[in-house]
Amino acid sequence: MTERVVLLGLDGGTFSTLDPLMEEGVMPFLKEFLASGVRGELLSVIPPLTPPGWASLVTGRTPGNHGVLDFFRFESPDSRYIRLVNSRDVKCETIWSIISRQGLKATVLNFPLMTPPRPISGYAVPGWAPWRYLRRLCSPRELYDKIKTVPGFNVQDLAMDLELEGKAIEGSSKEEYEDWIRLHIRREKQWFEILRYLMQEDPCNLTAVLFDGVDKLQHLLWRFIDPAYVPAHPSAWEQRIRDLCLDYFRQLDGLIAETVAMAGPEASVFLASDHGFGPSTEVFYLNAWLHRQGYLEWATKAPEDTSAVGKLGLDMTSRWSFMVDWSRTTAYGLTPSSNGLHIAVAGRRVQRGIDPKEYERVRSILMDQLGQLTDPATGGRVVSQIWTREEAFAGTQMEMAPDLTLSLRDGGFVSILKSDVVLKPRPEVVGTHRPEGVFMAKGPGIRQGLSLPALSLTDVAPTLLYTLGLPVPRDLEGRVAEQIFESASLHRRPIDVGEPTQVPEAFPQWPDHREDQEGEARVLERLKQLGYVE
Amino acid sequence: MVEVTRERIVADLEKIFNETMGDWEYSGEITPETRLFADLGLESIDIVALGGAIEGHYRRNFPFAQWLGQMRDQQVDDIRVKDVIQFLHDNLGGSSVGERQ
Repeated sequence: MTERVVLLGLDGGTFSTLDPLMEEGVMPFLKEFLASGVRGELLSVIPPLTPPGWASLVTGRTPGNHGVLDFFRFESPDSRYIRLVNSRDVKCETIWSIISRQGLKATVLNFPLMTPPRPISGYAVPGWAPWRYLRRLCSPRELYDKIKTVPGFNVQDLAMDLELEGKAIEGSSKEEYEDWIRLHIRREKQWFEILRYLMQEDPCNLTAVLFDGVDKLQHLLWRFIDPAYVPAHPSAWEQRIRDLCLDYFRQLDGLIAETVAMAGPEASVFLASDHGFGPSTEVFYLNAWLHRQGYLEWATKAPEDTSAVGKLGLDMTSRWSFMVDWSRTTAYGLTPSSNGLHIAVAGRRVQRGIDPKEYERVRSILMDQLGQLTDPATGGRVVSQIWTREEAFAGTQMEMAPDLTLSLRDGGFVSILKSDVVLKPRPEVVGTHRPEGVFMAKGPGIRQGLSLPALSLTDVAPTLLYTLGLPVPRDLEGRVAEQIFESASLHRRPIDVGEPTQVPEAFPQWPDHREDQEGEARVLERLKQLGYVE
Repeated sequence: MVEVTRERIVADLEKIFNETMGDWEYSGEITPETRLFADLGLESIDIVALGGAIEGHYRRNFPFAQWLGQMRDQQVDDIRVKDVIQFLHDNLGGSSVGERQ
């Protein structure tokens, strides 16, 4: 066993993409890695989505307990306004915190739900951070000035851009594709350079970096990546886009190879993704369907999606509350990403709504109606699976969850927009999430050339803790993936089940938040000069 | 226990802005009339980060989503620093000591 572990996150990594790339020689290092390590599918959570997925991976807990159910959440249990999730919404302890408490150090780069920063022993540069605030969001804060010296550092490329995030899901003009791919190649290189800097300056026990271009490229450019959709006779432009996509994965393979080399033969290296990927071929307008069924009434100003490509309405989520006539709405889809359906219950976020006594009956009718919904063109069922909140989100945080969560036949996200059709075929296939992510591992005591039955995302945290030589907290929902380890290794060091995790403080006190009385006096004086204070 | 007056809020906001502005393209002074989008060039994700920083400072949550959503619905096209101050003052229940009319 070793006490040096590297975790490489591939956001949206899926074997249906990676296997052909390995076979075609685009990712030779990954192929070699797997020949001397283990692989298996890593089953995501419901819904298979980035925030709940990574939160489950780093806590070893399910969304119903860690509380991250979507990109967004209600502002409070009785509010119908939503906001982006952040680190304060993770109600269970992360692996970064667990190992810090036990005297080990972590380097964490580009993971979501790291802002506002939480106390950590080591270094964290968060993902999903706007560039203007990155300095304030690094941990420790002095770290920003150090990473600024890293070759190629460009904070605007590195940080989160909501417009770009939206383009991954809603599409962009074809003229932007090449720049889009090149941006993500640059971004991965930047994260790698920061990783290299920190691995050389102060190697930590656990080093983790997330490469998120995998998800972005697959969303927008699935038809250039999945061999099943790559044109048989591509135009020069199509070939160029395909080649650039392959270049992204080729360079990613090189970054993985360099990281593994830096970690050295004594390190254990894990690769994992938060969810898998597959094609999406249509858009299902959940709220348009609810309107037709009499559950939802649009506000007069609700815009209608008349686009040919079919929009999901990601950019409308923050103003969704104003698109609906709440006095006449009893069920609604709140965000595209959650694939969730909420029932308006009187007294719960809305003044009007159904009688609470009617909740079970209404929910049961909705499930029947959605289950029976068919495509008029083919007769095929549109909704392939429906979970109640008790099924999908059992746990302490269930009250914030949708009442129903849907899985669509093409695996896609629902649209929340107004539309005169319920189902719209996409003119071109795009990529969307699937539950089957990837798990790969290699290192001392880890078996070689083994293909495993599927693991759960919640198994990763306990497996990393065990590999680091630490006890596994007894309240984790996942388990150590014993099958990846040689039996002699397990015999030498049996799994040690330890004390439960600690509930994170919502607002931890930081040393640099202590009041600086002298500095404050100076600030007040300046404010008077500026006219803020008399 | 420190009383959360308007003066105090202004000082706190100034501190939060100062911690980050060294990396921004904005070099002017921030006054009560400064607009977050048009003058400072902020984007919506920056407002989210600003909200997180404010909540961290006061160690409590604020109904930012409701406030911003209602402003959008009223077609308010920008937010001034004084709007943020007023919002915080309203939610912190601070005294009116030092309040500008």
